[in-house]
Parts: sequence; C-alpha cells; structure tokens
Amino acid sequence: MSQELLQDIMRLPAERLYQHELVALRKADTGKVPAGWQMSPQSVLKFIVGGKAGSTEITPKYIGNKRLIEMAIATLVTDRALLLIGEPGTAKSWLSENLSAAIYGQSGLVVQGTAGTSEEQVRYSWNYAMLLAQGPTPEALVKSPIMRAMEDGGIARFEEISRCASEVQDALISILSEKTISVPELGKEMSARKGFSIIATANTRDRGVNDMSTALKRRFNIIVLPAPADLYTEVEIVKKRVREIASSYDLQAALPADEALHKVVTIFRELRSGMTLDKKEKVKSPAGVISTAEAISLLTNSMALAASFGNGELTDEDLAAGLQGAIVKDDDKDQLVWREYLDNIMKKRGADWRGLYTACKEMN
Amino acid sequence: MESETTGAGVHIFGVRHLSPGGAQHLLSFLHEVEPTAVLIEGPSDATPEIRHVINMTTKPPIAILAFTEEVPVRTALWPLALYSPEYQAMRWAEQQGAYTAFIDLPSSVVIALQDIRTKSRDSAEQSEESEVNNADEKAPEEASLYDRVAELAGELDYDMYWERNFEHNTNKGAYQEAIISFSSQMRQISEENERHNNVIEYAHNTIREAYMRRQIQDTIAAGHQPDKIVVVCGAYHAAALVDLASGMSDEEIDALPSLNTKLTLMPYTYYKLSSLSGYGAGNLAPHYYQMMWERMMNDSLEDLPNHYLSTVARYLRNTGTHRSTAEIIEAVRLAESLAALHGGSAPTLRDLRDAALTLLGRGELSVIAEALARTDIGTAIGELAEGISQTPIQDDLNRQLKRLKLERYKTPVANDLELDLRENRRVSSEEAAYLDLNRSFLFHRLRLLGIDLVNIRASGQSSATWAENWVVKWSPEVEIQVVESTLLGETIEIASAYVLQQKLDGSSTIAEASALIRTAYECGMLHQMEAGRQTLQRLAVDTRDVVQIAASIHELSLLIQYGDGRRIDTKPLIPLLEQLFRRASLFLLDASQCNDEASGEMLKAMNILNQAAIEHSEEVDELLWVQELKHLSERDDCNPRLSGVACSILLERNAMTAQQCSEEVSRRLSPGIPAELGAGWFEGMSMRNRYVLLSRLSLWEQLNEYINSLDDEEFVRALVFLRRAFSTFEPREKTMIAELLGELWGVNTEQAAEILTGELKEAEAKMIEDLNEFDFGDI
Repeated sequence: MSQELLQDIMRLPAERLYQHELVALRKADTGKVPAGWQMSPQSVLKFIVGGKAGSTEITPKYIGNKRLIEMAIATLVTDRALLLIGEPGTAKSWLSENLSAAIYGQSGLVVQGTAGTSEEQVRYSWNYAMLLAQGPTPEALVKSPIMRAMEDGGIARFEEISRCASEVQDALISILSEKTISVPELGKEMSARKGFSIIATANTRDRGVNDMSTALKRRFNIIVLPAPADLYTEVEIVKKRVREIASSYDLQAALPADEALHKVVTIFRELRSGMTLDKKEKVKSPAGVISTAEAISLLTNSMALAASFGNGELTDEDLAAGLQGAIVKDDDKDQLVWREYLDNIMKKRGADWRGLYTACKEMN
Repeated sequence: MESETTGAGVHIFGVRHLSPGGAQHLLSFLHEVEPTAVLIEGPSDATPEIRHVINMTTKPPIAILAFTEEVPVRTALWPLALYSPEYQAMRWAEQQGAYTAFIDLPSSVVIALQDIRTKSRDSAEQSEESEVNNADEKAPEEASLYDRVAELAGELDYDMYWERNFEHNTNKGAYQEAIISFSSQMRQISEENERHNNVIEYAHNTIREAYMRRQIQDTIAAGHQPDKIVVVCGAYHAAALVDLASGMSDEEIDALPSLNTKLTLMPYTYYKLSSLSGYGAGNLAPHYYQMMWERMMNDSLEDLPNHYLSTVARYLRNTGTHRSTAEIIEAVRLAESLAALHGGSAPTLRDLRDAALTLLGRGELSVIAEALARTDIGTAIGELAEGISQTPIQDDLNRQLKRLKLERYKTPVANDLELDLRENRRVSSEEAAYLDLNRSFLFHRLRLLGIDLVNIRASGQSSATWAENWVVKWSPEVEIQVVESTLLGETIEIASAYVLQQKLDGSSTIAEASALIRTAYECGMLHQMEAGRQTLQRLAVDTRDVVQIAASIHELSLLIQYGDGRRIDTKPLIPLLEQLFRRASLFLLDASQCNDEASGEMLKAMNILNQAAIEHSEEVDELLWVQELKHLSERDDCNPRLSGVACSILLERNAMTAQQCSEEVSRRLSPGIPAELGAGWFEGMSMRNRYVLLSRLSLWEQLNEYINSLDDEEFVRALVFLRRAFSTFEPREKTMIAELLGELWGVNTEQAAEILTGELKEAEAKMIEDLNEFDFGDI
C-alpha cells in the first residue's frame, strides 16, 4: 500500500503503525526468543515501555507501572492465557493490541465479545453452501480467529469477554486447558502450535453482567490495570493524547494550558479516588466512570467548543461545561456529589481556582 | 580470597543486619576459622545481656533497648531475629565456648550522639524549608543512591536487588567478597557526599569506627590471637575496621558526650520489625526471611517458592477462599518466569508476591492482602525469661507520678481525687498552676491504655466542664498492665497515641470517630485530634444519616466552644463542623421522610443543628440551613411533625412573616387534610418555644377556625392528636391557651378559669376515658 493510502486510513494496527520500531527491535535483539515468538521477552518489554533499540528510539506505548507489563509478558512466556481487567479507559485493548503485535507480529486475530457472540465465533463454523454441496470437508470449515491463532502458533485477542453469554465463555475452557479444538464432523483434532495464547480483556464495570465462571478464571492469569498511579503520570498521558487527537482532527483551538490540564486531572483523580490529593480529606465519588480517557475527551470537547463558538482560547466556562457533563452523568446524587466537592474542596483552593469555581458554581 | 584477613590478621565479616544469607555464610565461616573471640557491632555496655540473649528460654525476635532516664525519653533499639547474623554468631560462640562481646559505642553515647544528629538535622531542615517550599518532594540522598543502584541493575527496588544478588548468592566465599566490594564502593560514593554535605553523619561514623578499632585492639591485648578473632559488623563499616592503627584513646573516650541510660532486653514482634525503616534496620518480611533461613538450614532453599505460595494458598483456603493446587503450580511458574526476565536464578519476594497477586488473588490485592501479610510478616512475638525486662514505660509512669505529685496515691487503698482543671492563680509556676489539668491528661491516657490505676466518677451535682472526680487505686495487676503496654510505646504518651490511632483506624461510624476526637481532647493529644478530624471527615462523606451527623456536630460544637478549658486549640475543627453542617442541611429533606417513631430523633437533630447555626453563625452556612428549613416546612410529603418543627424554627428566627405563618396554618389545617396530618403538624409546631406560639393570636384564630370546620368524627380524631400535642404543655401554659381560645369564643377570663379548674363531671370523665381507646383504624 502506498504512503498516501496509509494516511487516509483512520486507524492503523499497531504492527503497521510501529513497524520500524519492531524491525529495529528484532535486529538488535540478543535475548533468547521463545518458540513461536518474534522477539525475546526483554525486547517485547522495551517495545511497550519504551527505550532504545540500536539507534532507533522506541516510543513508550504504555505509561505507568512497568511491573504490570513484566507480569503480562512473563505470563505469556509460560504459555498461560492473559486476562486484562480494568475500569473503562485504562488502556486494556491498547495493551493487548501492542503485546500481540510485538510477540506475534500481528494483532488482527480478534473476537469481539458482545451479547450476540456465538460459540461458532470462538470455535469454528461452516460455509453452508459448500457444506450442503460437498458435506463436511476441510475446505468448508470456517475457522475462528482463535482457531487460526492455534494453527499458526500466534496470539488471539478476545475483547470484552465478560459481555459474552456464559456458554460462549465456557467454550474457551477446553481450548485453554487442552489447547486443541476437535472437529467431530471431520473426525479430527486441531492442536495448537507452540506460541499460541489468548489475551482477553474485561471491564470491571461489567462485573455481574455475565460474570466469568471460576473454571474459566482459573485458566487465565489475571492482571488488573489501574488508573494512572500519580498526578504527574496522568497529566503526561492526557497531554500526549490531547495533542495527538487535536492534530489528527485539526482542532482550531490552542492546546490547553498546563494549568488547566492540572486542574482537570486533579479534579478527576480526587473524585475517582474519593480522596483529596494531599490525602487529608475524603470526597464522595460520583456513580459514573471518570477515567483518564474521559478527561481526554473532556478536554478535546472543550477545545472544540472554544474553537467553534469561542475565540479559540480555552476558558474556565468551557472547562466548567465539560466538567459538569462528565461528572454529573444521570441522577441527582451526582449533582449533590459535585456540589459538595465544589464547596468543600474547590472553594478553599484559593485564587488560582477561583475562576473555575465560579464558572462551575454558575453551571451547577 | 584472603580479603577476610586484615593487616593485623583479624577477620572482618561484613553483613546486613537482618539477613538469612549473611547468617548462613557467617556460620560456615565461623566453623572454618574457629575463633576464640567473636566481636559484634552493638552497644558495648550490653555485653552482659548476651547471656540472656542466648538463654534457652529466650525466643527471638527480641530487642536490646536503651532509654534515657530523663524526659523526653529517647530510645535506641537493636532488634535481633532468629536469622540475624549477630544472633547466630552469639549462639555459635556460646556452643563453642568462645568469648563474645559488643564493640560499638555504649548506649549512653549512642543516644547522646543521636540527640545531636537529630538537632542538627532539624535545624538543617528548617533552613532548607525556608528556601524551598516543596520539602517533601526531596528524597534523602542516601535512599536515592540505593534506588539508583536498583534501577541500574534493572530491578524495581533495592530490596529486590539485594535479595537477588546477595540472599540468593549461595556461593561460599563469593558472598563475603561481593558484599565487601559492594559496600566499600557504596561507601566511597556516600562518604564523598557526606564529607561535604553532611559533616555530622560523617563524623558519627568516624567516631563509631575509631571506638570499634579500639575495642578490637583491647581484645588482642587481652590475649586473643588476631587470626582467631572474628568481627561481625555492618558491611558499611567492614572496610574501615581493616586497619587498626587509629583506635580511640582513653582521653577521647572520656570526651564523648553521654546521657544517663538504662539497658534492657524486651520481647519484640515481627510486626514491629517489619515497620522499622532505614537501611539495615528495616526488614519488610521477617516471616519470609525466617522461612528462607529454615530452608537454608536443611538445604532445601529451592523449595522456598513452592512453600511460600502454598502457605499463602493455605491461608486463603482456611479463610474461605478456595484456590486449587493447579493455581499454585501456575503461580510458581509465573514467579520463575518473572525471575528469568531479570536474569535471576530464583524468584525474589517481589516476584512471589506478584505471582500470588495474579494467580491466587486473580488480579486483586484485596483478596490476598491479609494472607500475604501473614506469610510475609507473620505474627511471631519474642519471649524472654521472667523478670529480665525492665521497660521504659514503667519508668515513665513513675516519673509522671512524681512530677504530678501523685506518688502518695500509689497504694492499694482507693483514694478519691477531685480535680479542678482551671488555672490556679495563687501559685507562681505554670507547672503548678495547671497541675490538675496535667493530672487529668495523665488519667485519661491511663484509661485509654486500659491501665486500671484510675477510674472516673460521674461528677455529682455540677456538670461543670472544669471539674473531674477520680478514684485512684494501685494493684499488682496495674504493674502488669503497665509492662504489657511496652510494646505500644516507650512512654505513656507515645503508647496512648498509638492506641488511639489504632482505634481511629478501626472506627467505622462517625459517632465512634467523634467520641475518639473527644478522647484525644481529654488526653491532650493534639496530633491525634487532627487524625481524628481526618477520620471523621472520611466517614462523614459516606454517611447520610442526619441524626448521626447532628450528634457529631453537637460534640464538635462543644469542643470548639469550651476547647480552651483544657488549653487546647480546637479551631482546626471548625472547617469540619462547617462541612458536616452543610451535609446535614443537604440531607435534611431526605431524612425528614420518616415515620413518627423516627421523627423524635430527627427533632433532636434539628434542634442541635439550629443551635449550631446560631452559635456558629459566622462559620456555618446559615442561609442554606434556613433555605432547607423553608423547603421542609412547605413540603407535604415529609413527616408533618418535622414540617411543623421547621415552621416553628423559622418563626423563631423571624424568617417567616405573620402573614406567611397564618397562610401555612390555614393550609395545613384546611378541611380535607386528614386530621392526623394536620394535628401532627401542629404538634411539631408546638414542640419548640411555646411562648413564641402563645404570643401570636392569629395562630390561635386559625386553629379555632380549623376546629370549627371539623365534623364530629373528624373532631374526635383530631382531638386525640391535639391532646397529645398539648400534653407536654405545663398547666400554666394550658390555661393561657384556654384563655386565648376563650377570648375568641367570647368567654371572659374568669369564667374560663372557673370551668378549667372545676371538678370533672362524670360524663366528661367518661368521654375522656373513651378517647384512650380510640380506634385509629388504618393509621
């Protein structure tokens, strides 16, 4: 595909987007490469957390706790399946995509879990025209992404696994423990090659919708991805993403000042953790999700507001409108929470916060 | 290889103080050298205690404790665990009959020097703080050095680095070499830095090492062959003890600063050991290291990961969380894979913990946190033979009793003691002027610690805040209770602060938390008052119970108003009061949707809130309160009694005009409104200040009209409620109402009085009797 065509594609998969980094890492790799892998575990780690491979700069893909990434990679080395759990907006899918891209060289073998996902999408289905014409033959077999990964010794991704009905989830149990799929119609078994694994993601907010059975959970190594650990990290993440989004959507507004970024992230962190940053006061958390991704979209929204209806400068009013919308999602309770936060915490923050406080108070 | 032999031939063995690996290597080294003297880094005046340390009945963890006899009590602590190289060296020497001694500065000097260092550090910090605002963001230089080492080695923290490189190093001899070269390099870096930036720290080490060199010289002079002497010391000092040339002279020893100290052994706990911090002193996972030590002793170290993870799983199973053997196996595999990622031969504690988190906790720390704590830290408590321990807290109590002139109460006879907390203006010194207040602080602290020396008696006639009645009685049990408090802290003050903090951490309702703030106030512990404030604030955020919030407001309000009675600044509580008040106001409407039974409590709460609004009108959001009261008084879906109460409060505060009031009365009492609602509302209205009601004639006109508008059946119903409403009125007030109504009915005052004070006729009595059996039907 030519360079122009590439630019028109809305979103490139990780292995294409970071192709030059992957090539450089493979070239500079000195570690032992596990069977079926494209590079050594140490190089995979470097691909995710950033560093240098030869003279090529490797950009960090995941900013935050490096140890979690180590644990994820170590899991895949032991050929166990990996389950990433976290609040919405904690980079679960992003991480799973990049891990697959680094370890297997492609991240496209995806099963998207929905209420409508059926067992066939996990195992295999048939091309019914051929099935009727010729009976069960290997050619008539339509393999699921998981089956293809098994055949190839690669990594399949299973997104939002807890949205699937439990019988679909159960279909995974035998795949993960036996590492085979039997096709009784053809009278044969398909065994996975070395390197096969599954990276699944699940949302903590979906807990209880289709709770995963203990039997299935037991077959995964479970890693919980947290919200960013400190203010600094989160501000960095937000800043990076807002800049990227603003340039890709061509927003005609100035990037938010560091101060505004700081304030938004501070408010988000305090409401999320139910605690002021200095840990001196507890605050009530609203019912909705207030993730980092949400802070990013709040800021880009406010920028769009400022660009379209303002003078292109982000004002306290734009931020207040965004905050009100992000925090007070549905019911009166959130309204109370936000009001208490404004009066108990924000009001006492002094002159720097005065403008934002007044704007929020008017909006509330 | 011969790095262990020094110029004088003395063997120097550098260790980390709480290190099973170090202990194991030291033991095999001792077996090889077979010294006649084992010299150990530790306070030299504690040498006589060694026989107690290695006594058969002694079970580590224990600690050598030195403490000053004067206040403030300063202490120094040398903890020993089963796997301490020092402890194992003492045991070995005992078995082999070798001479053992501590060779570091005596405790009296250690504490005096410690004092000087703290002072200089404090003053340095103060001057720095004035320059840099963000003092807490700076990490100590030394810590960052260790962190850098870990980072360079690709490890996440220094403990992980240490374990992987030293504890796992089973290579005989290599350990000793590695540790010496490592620590001498570390020393070069930090020494260079200290020489310029921290002269005191540098001098401190120089003094200690010179003293230790002198002790080694003395041991040689006492007839031990230099190559039959082994010195066990922190790896940091090993290089400095090689050359014995510059030992400390007698004059120099005499010139050392010194404070009077006492030495004792005390039982210690793994929990305490794990919470110490600082290089060498801290040992985050004592039980884990004990497991490591035990496996080293029977040559099965490779079993440690299996054993560790099985222990965690077993604990989980015992507490009702099932985890399969398959998961333990996978956890071991993950731990090994993590270790391999760092190029290690065996998993470190961190690897094991993370593997347990992923497999046994299924990603959630909360599930396994307790099991991990049990396995890492353990619950071991040391033991000592009876009578060995002479604790500083006993000393402290005696000193306090003497200072507060209470020694004569130390008898088995119960004595009454009446305290007057106010300043005694007839005496000259401040100490004497507040003698009783200080006694009260001590007594409250003893009560908090559960030491039954004192008991408070409800003060009789006066509920004055400045008077307290106590009964003081000494008994042998008291002595035991005091000794038991040692583990809580070295002085009564520290121990009670600890206990209070524990209670605060465990409190789950705002009532508990506010009671604890009060306790802190009574004990005169400012710091814990602040902690209590934070706890209460945290709990208050989640509570929607207005009654409870009001109760806390009441407590806080009292403390804020009378705080100076105990010479304590209670102003920091004001923002919390504000916040609680705001919360109570916001939830007033919600809470008022209750039945009559619950309304009694709410009524009290509303009275408290209104009281607080008046007394602290400067601080709390009075506007909000009035506004919420208005909502409540207008709402028809809340408890009518409470709406009535709200109305009467508004009347009192003049937040409601006579016009509005009469409108409300006629609306509430209009025909068609069920009688019990109308009467219930009126009952609420009359529950507060009656004279405000009695002085408003228009109100009674409305009531009159209302009664007139009722048909017979409704009247009987309403009568029951009205009777209840007026039942709490005093006879005089009832007469006033009757007269008021009489006026409206055109009956003059004398006639009315005559009817009211006259005897009941039989028929009337019967009617009243019947009312008692009134059937409320579906109410």
